[in-house]
Amino acid sequence: MSTASLGSYYRTIITVAVVLLATAFLFSSLRVDAWVGLKPFFEWMGTTWFGVIGTTWGAVFAVVQAFHLLAMALMGGAIIVSDGRLLGLGFSEMDEREVLDKSHTIFSRSLAVVLLTGIFMACGVAMKIYYLEVYWYKMLALSVGILFTYGIKKPLLAKSLDDISPLVRRAVALSSLVVWFSVAGAGRWIGFSG
Amino acid sequence: SDKKKVAMDDLQVSALAASATILIFSAIYWTVQIQSVREMLEMAY
Repeated sequence: MSTASLGSYYRTIITVAVVLLATAFLFSSLRVDAWVGLKPFFEWMGTTWFGVIGTTWGAVFAVVQAFHLLAMALMGGAIIVSDGRLLGLGFSEMDEREVLDKSHTIFSRSLAVVLLTGIFMACGVAMKIYYLEVYWYKMLALSVGILFTYGIKKPLLAKSLDDISPLVRRAVALSSLVVWFSVAGAGRWIGFSG
Repeated sequence: SDKKKVAMDDLQVSALAASATILIFSAIYWTVQIQSVREMLEMAY
């Protein structure tokens, strides 16, 4: 493969580089150093207005959590619809482009609600989640999910859908389902911890 | 055009690489988690 053709695969090269760097970070002492360094930030989170409200009024925390879970359910629905359509498991009577575009709009809006309510909830239980291993797995899965959805899946599906190979369609749909259900699963795990 | 074909290939190859990474790491993570839950249940019951 010549240098010129290697340059044509810049997106693949960036993807592989990000994966290698992230893997090196996760399996090195840098990860522990970063965790220790983040402790003052989490202590500060607990002292913010969000943290004080979340710890003082349990009802407020519960209402925000309800919106967090409702938005997660909406997100899950949008993912099942779009990835189910890509896998050929349903909604075949509807136009594929319309299904993908509309479900992505719903996904993006519900993700915004999930992030906003999630920040509030994190402030309310800052030191609990700081010491919970599963919280960091959830943040890792969430970061990967956002990068994958907006950096890989969205640009790929913006092209003509007929030009995408069936293998790539299935792989993207399956990994999208796996990563977002991992986020939801880890989130529920946090709810049942401590 | 050839140029467009290469751009599509790049998108698809990067999507495959990212998908494979997600599926492999997720399989390892959930296998380890399920195994640890199974061990906890065995210790308890």
